[in-house]
Amino acid sequence: MSIYTLGIDVGSTASKCVILKDGSEIVAKSLIDVGAGTTGPARAIDAVLDAAGMTHEDMSFTLATGYGRNSLDGIAHAQMSELSCHAKGAAFLYPDVHTVIDIGGQDVKAMHIENGALVNFQMNDKCAAGTGRFLDVMARVLEVKVSELGDLAEKSTKRIAISSTCTVFAESEVISQLAQATDKCDIINGIHHSVANRVVGLVNRIGVQDRVVMTGGVAQNKGIVDSLEEGLGHIVYTSPLTQYVGALGAALFAYQKALKQQR
Amino acid sequence: MLEARFTEFKAAAYAPKKLLNEYKAAGKKVIGVLPYYAPEELVYAAGMVPMGIWGSNNKTIARAKEYCATFYCTIAQLALEMLLDGTMDQLDGIITPTICDTLRPMSQNFRVSMAKLQKMPTIFLAHPQYRRPAFGLQFTIDQYTNVRRELDKIAGHEMTDEDIRAAIKVYNKFRQARREFVKLAGEHPEAVSAVNRSAVLKAGYFMEKPEYTEKLNALNEELKALPASNWDGVKIVTSGIICDNPVLLKIFDDNKIAIATDDVAHESRTIRVDADEEGDPMMALAKQFANEDYDVLLYDEASSQNRRGEFVANLVKESGAQGLVLFMQQFCDPEEMEYPYLKKALDGAGIPHIKLGIDQQMRDFGQAATAIQAFADVLSM
Repeated sequence: MSIYTLGIDVGSTASKCVILKDGSEIVAKSLIDVGAGTTGPARAIDAVLDAAGMTHEDMSFTLATGYGRNSLDGIAHAQMSELSCHAKGAAFLYPDVHTVIDIGGQDVKAMHIENGALVNFQMNDKCAAGTGRFLDVMARVLEVKVSELGDLAEKSTKRIAISSTCTVFAESEVISQLAQATDKCDIINGIHHSVANRVVGLVNRIGVQDRVVMTGGVAQNKGIVDSLEEGLGHIVYTSPLTQYVGALGAALFAYQKALKQQR
Repeated sequence: MLEARFTEFKAAAYAPKKLLNEYKAAGKKVIGVLPYYAPEELVYAAGMVPMGIWGSNNKTIARAKEYCATFYCTIAQLALEMLLDGTMDQLDGIITPTICDTLRPMSQNFRVSMAKLQKMPTIFLAHPQYRRPAFGLQFTIDQYTNVRRELDKIAGHEMTDEDIRAAIKVYNKFRQARREFVKLAGEHPEAVSAVNRSAVLKAGYFMEKPEYTEKLNALNEELKALPASNWDGVKIVTSGIICDNPVLLKIFDDNKIAIATDDVAHESRTIRVDADEEGDPMMALAKQFANEDYDVLLYDEASSQNRRGEFVANLVKESGAQGLVLFMQQFCDPEEMEYPYLKKALDGAGIPHIKLGIDQQMRDFGQAATAIQAFADVLSM
């Protein structure tokens, strides 16, 4: 009989779920664009079970991860940090991965992986610069959607220097650039490099080793990925499943725990 | 029984103001002692009660901003905050050591603000950089003598050398009991949570020393009588200036991470060395400071050998811990500057570690919880 496990990644800005069959096949996935402290997690769970045509009782083990991982009492059997889950999910998609970068809503994480397991990591200081929140703030000032940033940056013809030290100062700089009628696309290009500069410093602290994989929603922004590749001097791989990597890792750990329970 | 003892220490650790009120109601004089290496023995010898001032986990900085540069650590700023907002108005004086780059200028902020508001006398204390040569020892004695005279003025009578020798004996016993507790807590994490461990050590800054030592020795005896530990979690060593926030420490307990021992200024760094109980007591106190070692804040003539890094790495290995957690206080220049050397030594010894950025105004530890939990995963794999 097959073992089905559910991984739930409750992030600060989105809720993601993955149902896995026998620890190897993705049966269904779901994503709701709101995260911890909202209806997002419950809606994401309903959506993934609907998509799989299953109920929660069909799940042998449910494991939560992400910023809101402790908020699923009665639903999740266990919880693990998103660092461990992103590492696990990335190693499932790219077995030869050694470096994982995850830019989350309020954290940036650089992970070193050996034989599919997390062995070292670095997180950002208590500062929003370089995080997904930084991009949210900038998109709001620029009156564009976060999802449009990558395409707009591609139209840039020159890069504007934007501070990577502080979100508040960087926001002032962007407003100043707008006041000077600087092209939005060039400003966005500068913002991407500002984020990348911050992240590159963090990744270099643990040492960059191929293959480098970027996970999380921000990996869908081609401008950020390009800026990271330029800063790191390494190819940065992203998966079409990038937003689900944490939930996938959680489902994989859930499978291990389900097997342990059966023994 | 253990829980009752922990409850007693927690009451003191979490409500020092209540103790201060009690000391004053009993007619005692109380001296606030800022971090660190101040010769508290002199306060005791003068017949007064010393109370440590290491910031606060409950206050936010408001009034101190009038005096402080933004890059002063929250420990120093919140100490001043409590002196300004009335929390510590009952103190009869404070000793302001100048052992780091923040406390040095900060000593003048304390002096100016306390004089301007006519609150209390401030006793300046400068430790020498070269603490071991004869001229360094003499410098320390000169400084301590000044502290002694100022304390005499507040006490209203002169302490004798015999008073100081008696105080040294009390403090040696106090330090020995604390070292014993640190060792026993590391051996029995199933009985001493990270939260309780911290509270026991923190209470020592506020309780009267003989009473504290007696209660701690009783606790130690109970811990010694426990059967061998069945701990199945991981063990780490903590490092940094201070990590006494129970909310943060509970994350360690929740993830079954035990503290095997520590290299924390607020905990073990200040209790490693005892003072001679015989001879000239001022020289004994000067030598005690001279014999302090392996501290970020102390000058090391052989610093290129990274002796401190090796010392901390050995601490991890010898304590049976699998890794180290460094609590990096925001704006703590000495700890930040020293970090690459510590990292080098830990990496060289194959000891995993994480650095958690903290300050005393933090109320949400979500990011730290993620890092701590992931670190537990790394250590247990």
